[in-house]
Amino acid sequence: MSATELVTVTVDGREVHVPPGTGLVETALAAGVEIPVFCYEPRLGAAVGACRMCLCEIEGMPKLQAACTLTATNGMIVRTAQTSERAAEGQEATLEFILVNHPLDCPVCDKGGECPLQDLTFRWGPGNTRMTFPKRTFEKPIPISPAIALDRERCILCYRCTRFSESVAEDGQLVALNRGAESVIATFEDEPYLAPFSGNVIELCPVGALTSTQYRFEARPWEIQNVPTVCGLCPVGCNIQATTREGKVKRILSRNHPEVDEGWLCDKGRFAFTHLRARDRIADPLRRVRRRGFDVLSWDDALGEAAELLMQAQGRIVTALSGSETVEQAYALGRLMRAGLGAHTGVLPEETSPALDAFRLPLSAIRDAELEPVAERAPIVELWVKAARRQGAQVEQAGDALEGCRRLADKRNALGKSLRESERAILIWSGEEGAGGAHLAALAKELGFAGKPASGAFHLPCTPNGRGIADAWAAASDDEGPNPEPIGLLFVSGDEAAADPNVRALAERAERVIVNAMFQGLAVGWADLVLPGTSYLERDGTYVNLEGRLQRLRRAVIPPAPDELAWISKLAERFAVEVSPHASAVFAEVSERIYDGLPFGEVGEEAPLRTRSEAPAPQLPSEPAAEGKGLRLVRYRPLFSGPAVERVPELQFQRPAPEVELSPGDAGRRGIAPGETVTVTHNGTSLQLRARITKSLREGIVRIAAEHAGELGGTVEVAK
Amino acid sequence: MARGNPIDSVKGFGVTFKQIFKKPITQQYPEYKRPVYPRFRGRHRLHVHENGLEKCVGCSLCAAACPADCIRVVAAENTADNRVSAGERYARIYEINMSRCIFCGYCELACPFDAITLGNEYEISEYSRDDLIYTKDMLLAEPIKKVPVADRDLYDTPIPYYQEHS
Ligand code: SF4
Ligand code: SF4
Ligand code: SF4
Ligand code: SF4
Ligand code: FES
Repeated sequence: MSATELVTVTVDGREVHVPPGTGLVETALAAGVEIPVFCYEPRLGAAVGACRMCLCEIEGMPKLQAACTLTATNGMIVRTAQTSERAAEGQEATLEFILVNHPLDCPVCDKGGECPLQDLTFRWGPGNTRMTFPKRTFEKPIPISPAIALDRERCILCYRCTRFSESVAEDGQLVALNRGAESVIATFEDEPYLAPFSGNVIELCPVGALTSTQYRFEARPWEIQNVPTVCGLCPVGCNIQATTREGKVKRILSRNHPEVDEGWLCDKGRFAFTHLRARDRIADPLRRVRRRGFDVLSWDDALGEAAELLMQAQGRIVTALSGSETVEQAYALGRLMRAGLGAHTGVLPEETSPALDAFRLPLSAIRDAELEPVAERAPIVELWVKAARRQGAQVEQAGDALEGCRRLADKRNALGKSLRESERAILIWSGEEGAGGAHLAALAKELGFAGKPASGAFHLPCTPNGRGIADAWAAASDDEGPNPEPIGLLFVSGDEAAADPNVRALAERAERVIVNAMFQGLAVGWADLVLPGTSYLERDGTYVNLEGRLQRLRRAVIPPAPDELAWISKLAERFAVEVSPHASAVFAEVSERIYDGLPFGEVGEEAPLRTRSEAPAPQLPSEPAAEGKGLRLVRYRPLFSGPAVERVPELQFQRPAPEVELSPGDAGRRGIAPGETVTVTHNGTSLQLRARITKSLREGIVRIAAEHAGELGGTVEVAK
Repeated sequence: MARGNPIDSVKGFGVTFKQIFKKPITQQYPEYKRPVYPRFRGRHRLHVHENGLEKCVGCSLCAAACPADCIRVVAAENTADNRVSAGERYARIYEINMSRCIFCGYCELACPFDAITLGNEYEISEYSRDDLIYTKDMLLAEPIKKVPVADRDLYDTPIPYYQEHS
């Protein structure tokens, strides 16, 4: 930007040049002056000026001004509390006023030690209190949801939480009741705060009014370590801090990556970490024994047994991957299976397509786009799409992925036409049927997105690291082999794979099964040998998120059993394959092959997005033949599902109800009203589910969450 | 080096010579225990209110203040059936590692509830290091060994707040 476009502002006698429209708080920061704030948070939209902490003297204005509500204009002269007696007095009075009814129960308050109110009072506030009357009291703590506790006494009414609820998550469930001094924060109609992003208000609250029930009284800021890592529960890969104390994860905080998550987390990422301490966590290798269930094995025996099982299968091995392994783990496993045993068949829950690399964009680009056809969503992507809509973007529901692609590729389609004309258009798609984004890539190509740097396409897979694993598995060996039949051994890597009905079906055809899982519940009954698994918080390595961003995972806590890389490396030794047990060394090898030799150390704390690459032409699979008549069933994985979520008591209320979603047309034809119990039939099996009418669903399709769909698949019939 | 005055040397020997006829001040510990000053900082105590509730709320401020990092506090929440302290929270685990403590008294200063104080006992040697980790029960109980304390009035020591109020 040239100097002429900048405005000059004097803050405490220091001149700074900033672009016009910059907030005064940021302007002062540019001059090296701090203006204290409570309510100001640019991510929540326009400033509201609720707390008056930011009072400043501005030349030409008679009264003290709330700096957070003003923007820089040319020639503005600002005097903060550092140089202005009046501003200092004003801030001190503000703090005294805030503290009039504040309980100051810091010793029992979870915010103590990391509390902006403590810090600002210490630095800017009065040294003493003049308040001699009893303070206002409320019932406390009020659990506004199983995961969040509200303490109204401590609330300073900054309205950060309600603004988040209203204008970021747009759930509107957190509201301010009453007026003036009587104002309190409450949930709408005192219903629990049930929303997928509710946990963010805990981090937004500048005092200890909204606290996490999981972290309640668990630790103090001086007793913890924060480990910067990445969430491994969905493909977005939000950047997180794992707070640990005495070797245990105590909470998850966001770590703002402005291109990925903007500092927000979904409740799954925030609260699901307690699955690490689930009751049925496996800590030792187990072997199935007839009738008695399982026997605990030593690691030496377990590796011997595993080697024997692998040997006996004579290469007729299928590896079922979860999609949640690290790149390194998938590569190491690939080396063992493919180079060591000649077993080249790896099954991923979902296809991925490298063709999308040509349309790569950061997730933050969604906010700045002007036109977005959307089909289904991943958690944080939903917030970006909402932000785009607030900024005036046209967001269109494109319905079902495959059908939508076909429709938009058509030149006569109105939406397709404006997509071709727009410079900032983004396609967001999910669903298992899109051939991992190949259809989407073909569409993006057809729309001419390759030449428009601000237009792109996102495919939202259902696995956190599907893309990285597919690449790493492919890089592990150059040979190819046929799919084994019959299957001698099924190697199940990870909990998601162990919970997948398709993998269970494969196991029926396999002679022996080795399962690598964290939880006993997933391994009992079908595994011959169980090797303990670890979680994303216990591993070192890298993940590739849905943008194609390579991000670094750091071990926050030591797992109860050695991590996968350690024993894969030991096992590979027995088959004369060399694999390092250290993520850095394995990554060096992978990087050589697929990431242009990028060093491990450079996959930094705030990972950059790799540039768009020339991608191969998308490989379109043959389209599935329409089978029979009836309604096509779409099984989907809801956000709050999976082995980790099932083991977290605070998240149970978020899990999907046993429902079948119908389009209004289909429901009307069958005389089904919302909430009625219906029977869903497929091939003689049937299930009783509650009916729910979803307007955005296309006719001919029904949706059921995978965990409630049982054995259903293909086409189904729904009747009252 | 300057040469010493021979007279000074003789003076010095004179001082030594005079001591021979004085009564020795060696005390026979442990038969005789010399009283300590009332504000001597020795083994810690945790205090309870008159109604039996613990004063400590498990805030960990003492642990933050401790320069030897020898206090470990793990807090938990009071429930209706299990009320341990007066506030919402209490110390489920409270441990002081006496082998690391330097008896500086910062923990006492940091505590917002006068829950922890340093007592007068100094006989805390043990045969094993593990025995020097004092648990909450040990700190709440009366110390087993007692040490005589010099007359309070003599030393003009104010009665501590925690003994006057509870
Ligand atoms: S919110 Fe902050 S100032 Fe208020 S009691 Fe808690 S720690 Fe103390
Ligand atoms: S609960 Fe916290 S975030 Fe909400 S208004 Fe009160 S102080 Fe602000
Ligand atoms: S006396 Fe000093 S060293 Fe000992 S526990 Fe207290 S603060 Fe720590
Ligand atoms: S002894 Fe005092 S400072 Fe230490 S945890 Fe208990 S209340 Fe807090
Ligand atoms: S920060 Fe400016 S009024 Fe709250």
